[in-house]
Formats: sequence, structure tokens, C-alpha cells
Amino acid sequence: MTDRRRINGPPSGTRPAVFASSLKSASSISTGRPRRQRQPDELRKIFLKTGLIPSASGSAYLEFEPSASLAAARSNPQSLIPPSSALKLACTVHGPKPLPRSASFSPNVVLTTHVKYAPFAARQRKGHIRDASERDLGVHLETALRGVIVAERWPKSGLDITITILEAEDDRWWGDAPDSHDAPWGMMNVLAGCITAASAAIADARIDCLDLVAGGVAAIVSDESAEGETSTPKLMLDTDPAEHKSILSACVVAYMPSRDEITELWLKGDHSKASLGTTDQSLNHESLIDGAVNAARGAHTVLAEAVKESAERFAGLSTGANTV
Amino acid sequence: MTAQRQASSASQSLLISPAELSYLYTSLSLPDGPIRPDGRSPTQFRPLTAETDILPGTNGSARVGFADGTQAIVGVKAEVEKTVVAAEALNLSQQQTQEDYADNEGGEGQKTSSHGHGSWVQMSIEIPGFRDDDALPVFLSEMMREPLVESVAGAGDGMGGDEMAGGLKGRLVINKRWHWRLYIDVLLLSQPLSYPLPLLSLTTHLALLSTKLPKLKSKGEEDPFFDDDWNAAEYLYPRSPSGPRLSSTKQVRPPVTLLVISVGDNVIFDPNREEIAVADTVLAVSVTQDSDSDGLKLLSIRTVDPPSRLTQPGVSNSENVATLGSTAAAEEAAMTDPSTGEEVAGVWRPRRGGVKRRTIAKMLKLVLQKGGVGEEVLEGLEGVQVG
Repeated sequence: MTDRRRINGPPSGTRPAVFASSLKSASSISTGRPRRQRQPDELRKIFLKTGLIPSASGSAYLEFEPSASLAAARSNPQSLIPPSSALKLACTVHGPKPLPRSASFSPNVVLTTHVKYAPFAARQRKGHIRDASERDLGVHLETALRGVIVAERWPKSGLDITITILEAEDDRWWGDAPDSHDAPWGMMNVLAGCITAASAAIADARIDCLDLVAGGVAAIVSDESAEGETSTPKLMLDTDPAEHKSILSACVVAYMPSRDEITELWLKGDHSKASLGTTDQSLNHESLIDGAVNAARGAHTVLAEAVKESAERFAGLSTGANTV
Repeated sequence: MTAQRQASSASQSLLISPAELSYLYTSLSLPDGPIRPDGRSPTQFRPLTAETDILPGTNGSARVGFADGTQAIVGVKAEVEKTVVAAEALNLSQQQTQEDYADNEGGEGQKTSSHGHGSWVQMSIEIPGFRDDDALPVFLSEMMREPLVESVAGAGDGMGGDEMAGGLKGRLVINKRWHWRLYIDVLLLSQPLSYPLPLLSLTTHLALLSTKLPKLKSKGEEDPFFDDDWNAAEYLYPRSPSGPRLSSTKQVRPPVTLLVISVGDNVIFDPNREEIAVADTVLAVSVTQDSDSDGLKLLSIRTVDPPSRLTQPGVSNSENVATLGSTAAAEEAAMTDPSTGEEVAGVWRPRRGGVKRRTIAKMLKLVLQKGGVGEEVLEGLEGVQVG
């Protein structure tokens, strides 16, 4: 469905031209791919802050640490195209608020999730109307959160969770041909970020939950080594799709550490070849899920800190109001 | 509108009373195996009727009907389309190939072109009572499209494997400049009485099995030119010439998505409407069969929001004023904190929380193991007369 009410720009934005003279050789392109500088089980740093939007009952802002290659490219630009992008998103929670009079009775809180990419969030411009992938993300997020919120404490009320993605993860490195691996791997990182941020925002809105649910991503990737050959597949946590030539399989979970339970699981990709090639039996779906759970555990520590900060601010506000 | 919205992520099963839900849950979570309302075993599917090639105007079609009256029709249409290659990708890949040629004397120059693009497969699902941008149709179509474009077969080390190198995406490539675009249109003819995923997935599988593409007469990088004899057309998923029963060499098959629920410690397949209403966990697991491994391949897993989270809780006798069991203190406690009351046997509580990892592992094992449900389903579908 196209947006007919506004005058839109071209559906696919134009890219800055890459002049052949600015490239030292064709091989500089293949080596231009950002490299993962972290250990396989090392996560990117997460910035998470609550309470940034005063008009909402709860809000959170989440940012992933940009990869080292981006920082290097900014200080010493080789090309106009940034080598990678990092996730930035804002989440607001409105409610619990009464349902409109026309709505039918609901014994539980009616949860509505709305995930939207900003038009400039990805390299390919997104329209103003939510497309299928954004709706899909919304359903995933709803599943993840509905298991956590104690819904029967707010009968006849609604809870709206809105996420705006300001900068999205890349699905692949920009220099790769679009058919090399076209699956939207970046969406999985985006979903993990959405879950973590929404969890912080819900806690910031003081809505009762069973636990703080955190999102985590793990993937089985087969990287190219320095000689250009693909090496044996490896399990990595918190993968940046731009840094890997081929991602075989990836998994997102929404995980509650204190109950050791998963509320949302999304695994996709074909990793059967990974376990065929090697004798390593650890490259199966179970280790992938365990890896994602470990990544979620890491995100949970950040989440707990952010929620603590939110609670302290709230306590400070209430004592401040008493003294005045 | 909110009722519609809630019904979109779960199925429409809100009209079961807490007492009924509790009865169902208890009988399905029995430790010696579940007792299902329709008497099936935990891994048994509902009886269904299926036929293929029912629509002459399509490349492939199928109809599946369950005994409860739900029916679905799938039509697959294919169109030839010019491959659009983004300018910078073209440049880069050309440079890459030149380099390749220089390196190994033109050994692997054409390798890049055998990959297809996932967006060449389009799926649309129409369910009565839902708009096409509602959450349920969007979620279902993404759930079924994902394993289709994801399945990548091994790089041609066996008969039939050559054609399916690169999976369905690779099969759609005609040459560097042309490709097939596949439209899969799913039509649910009846109201969605239960969660329609198993029905739609089985129908799509059969439709893809019966899909034929015209035989290509042109060669290499020429503009495509096809044989106009429909009898010479080739199956999209190649079928073994000596009949489907010969399964010594496994054929690549379209993926099939199974709906699995867990109730208590039990795992149940193909749940009907009543069973899914009390499920603790609902998983959609997509599997396929490949030529280069004898087991099943797992392609995707998604959790589906179980509708049991939306149900109304029952009230136990000790809290109920009408049964004289209520004391002032209990009432007070219920007022201040209505949900911390512990589980009373026989009183329905909406499910909360998630699923343990060992439960997921158990569900997946039942699907994937040798002689498990996944193989059984694929074998059963193979038995449907195609063509």
C-alpha cells in the first residue's frame, strides 16, 4: 500500500557515488568489510536510559555501541558511505488507561505494540505506513511482553507501547551484492533491542511484571578468513550482520532470568550444513538458543541498572515533593 | 476494534468458560499422556481431504479441508521477470569476478549468479473477517514465507540436487538477467475456527509440490524462450521419476510448518480450537527434507502468543462471596492483590510467564527425531496423488 497523502521522496534513496579512482583496488572493497573486534561471546555495550519522554507514563532510549570500524571511518574517512550502523531506538509506554466506551469488556489489560522505523532509519528508505516487516516485529514484541506483564491487574484498560527505530542494524554489509544473503538478519537485532527497551519502559511506567525480560541474539556465522576462504562456522553472540559474510542461522529470545523462562523465541536459518561440515556437535539449535539466552543475560544486567536508576529518580521525586 | 485486535494475535476462542478451560487443561496435562477432546493421540493429526491441481489457470494449486469444515485453497502463479541488479552491486561483483578469473583461470566466475533473491517469492493470505494488513495474516504469511526462502539445499552432490542448488531461490533463477517470480496466494474459505497455520501450511506445501514451470528452450544468457507444451513442463520441486515410494535418495521438498503446543508436561500436535485455548506454549516449527542429509532440517521456530493469556480467571470457592466461603480478610486480600492467590486445583488461571528451555528441546525432539512427527507428515503429504 503506498502513501498517497504526502509527497514522498523516491522510494529507494540515491546513494553517494563510489568513484573508481577513490578505490585503491577492487580488493580494497572486499577487505573494506568491517571486522568483528569482539570475542565471540562478547556483547556490544548498551546505552539504556529511562524517563526521557515526560509526557509518556514510561519511556526508554536504547543505543548499541557503534562498531570500531565506524569510529575509525569517522576519524579517517575513506568513503562517503558509513561502513556499518548501530541500533538506536526510543520506546514509549502510554497507560494503563481506560479503554474507550465502545470497546468490549476485557478482563485483562489490552496490550498494543507498534514498531515503526523512521523513514531514515535504514539505508533503504522506509515509508510512513508500516510495512509487513514492521507489523511482524510488532507481533513478536507483543508475544514477548504479554507473557511478562501481570495482565489481570488492569481489567478494562489498555496499554500502548510504541517504538520508534531511529537507526536500524544493517541486514548485510553495504558492499555485498543484495542477493548474497538477503534475509533480514538486522531485524533480529532490532527485535532484541525492542524487547530490552520496552521492558525498561514498562518498568519505568511502574507496571507489574513477573521479571525484567531482556532480548538477546546469537547466530551461527561462517566468516571469511584473511585468505578469503570461508572458515568453519562458529557460534557468536550479538552479531552485527555487517561484519559477517554469511550468517547461517540466527536466534532471538526474550528471556526472564529469575524464572529461567523464554517468552519469545524466533529462530531462523538453515544450520544443518554447519554441523555437517565439522565434527563439532555444538552447532545445533539448542546451543543457538542457549547462546541467545546468554546474550539476554548480558543485556539484563544493563536493564537492571537502568531500572534501578529509574526507581531512584522516582523516589527522589516523591521525597522532593514531600519536603516542598 | 480492540476485541478484533486481540483476536488477531491469538485465535478466536474467548467464549470458553473458566470451568471448561480448567477441565480441558487438567485432562490435557495428565501425567500418563493427554486425553484430547476428540480422542486423538498426542501426535495424531486431524483427518483431512486433499486434492491438487484444481485450478487450471495456475501453475500449481491445492485444496485441503479438515473434517470440521475449515477449507483452504492455494494457487501458485509464476511470472518471468527481469532481474534488477543494483548498480554498485553490479560493479563490485564484476570486479570480483574479474579478480576471480585472474586468480583461478575463470573457475568460479558464475557462482555469484546462482543465488536468488528472497523477495521473488510473494505470499498473501486472505482470511475472512481480517483485513490484509491485520496482524494475523501478516504474521502467518511471514511465518510461512520465511522457511520457503530460507531453505538452501546442498551444492549439488547427488541426483536432483543440482537443480535445487540454492534452494527455492536458486531454482527461480533462469539466467543472469531473468528470473521467475512466484506468487503464492492463500485463501481460507471458512472462518478461522482454530489457529489456521497447520491447514494453510499443508495446503501451501501441496500446491508447491504440484507447481510446474514451463520447460526452458533457450540456453544460457539468451532471452528466455519456453516450450509451449504444458505436458513437457517441469516440476518446481523435482520429483523422482520412479514414483514417490522410492525413498532411497531423498528429494528436496517444500518446508512444512507444524503447530506444536505444550500443556503441563505434555506435547500435543495439531491442536484444535479447544486445545490451543489452554496451551502453555504454542510453537510453530518449520522443517524440510533435503537431498544431502537423511534427517529433517529445522528451518525456523517462532513462538505464537498463546490465547490462554487472554482468558478470564476462575474464582475459587474460598474467594467467592456467593458460596459463603469468603471471609472479610480473604476479600480484603483479593481486593488489594487479586493475582497473588496461589493456584487452586480445578480453578482456571490464565497462563503467565514463558516456557522452559527443556520444554522447547522436548518439542523439537519430537518433531525432528527419526521416525518423528515431521517425517510422518512429509511422508503422508508425499502420498497425495499429484499431477
